[in-house]
Amino acid sequence: MTGPPDQGRPDQGPPDQGPPRPGPAGADPAGAEPPPPGDDPEERDPGLARERTSLSWMRTAISFAALGGVVLKANLLSGLVILAIAPVVWQLGRVTRGPGASGLPVVGATRLFIITVAIVAVALLCLVIAVFGQAVPGALR
Amino acid sequence: MSWSSRLAALLPRTAVQDTGGTEPDPRFTFANERTFLAWSRSALALVVAGLGVVQLLPPFPGVPSGRHLIGLPLIVLGAVLAVTAYAEWVRNQRALRRGEPLPRSVMPWILAATVTGIAVISSIVLLVSAAR
Repeated sequence: MTGPPDQGRPDQGPPDQGPPRPGPAGADPAGAEPPPPGDDPEERDPGLARERTSLSWMRTAISFAALGGVVLKANLLSGLVILAIAPVVWQLGRVTRGPGASGLPVVGATRLFIITVAIVAVALLCLVIAVFGQAVPGALR
Repeated sequence: MSWSSRLAALLPRTAVQDTGGTEPDPRFTFANERTFLAWSRSALALVVAGLGVVQLLPPFPGVPSGRHLIGLPLIVLGAVLAVTAYAEWVRNQRALRRGEPLPRSVMPWILAATVTGIAVISSIVLLVSAAR
């Protein structure tokens, strides 16, 4: 006689349902065991998370392009600069993730920092255009 | 902790030097990155909305600075959201590495409060414009 079929661990789900939120260390009410020692993160299958992240980078690049298109109406040079950021963002999303020697992945931290600096710079540029630029009401008609 | 040291802790090199904990599950890292990107797109949308209000809307009769009152806070909010999103990404990644609970996010509160304020300003501008 065989025992009942293995139902699997209750905390395991398909990888495309997103990662479960980790609870406080040592306070798991379900009593789920921590991953066994030697479970290398590099060997874990991220499932479709990599695809979703890649698509997210692509949407961000498209957002930059859309903003550049709007700014083109107000200021040609600034619009072209913002439009040029879009392919850079797209390329940043394609950079292969590699763990640093220690701590956070250096490539991830750097490229996210670049995105932040780019958005702040674009916002400042738009602020200058909004304050000092010549308004063109009805330009989208 | 002073503001300068808090800002310095956000720089990529400084963040990488945080050696506490272990490498988290890649799915958590990807999810954290996607959350940052989603907030970044929201920031860009706010910037483009603010610029559109100032540059493309016709002026409000009787309220000459009405477009600037509505549009400029949106652009500033976009920049603030972008910086906050990066700071939260660093904090979340650090918590994931150390197996700690994720810190509570202030970004929904910032976004809700500012958008509510801008909605109130817009209503006042529209009412004043319609009354004249």
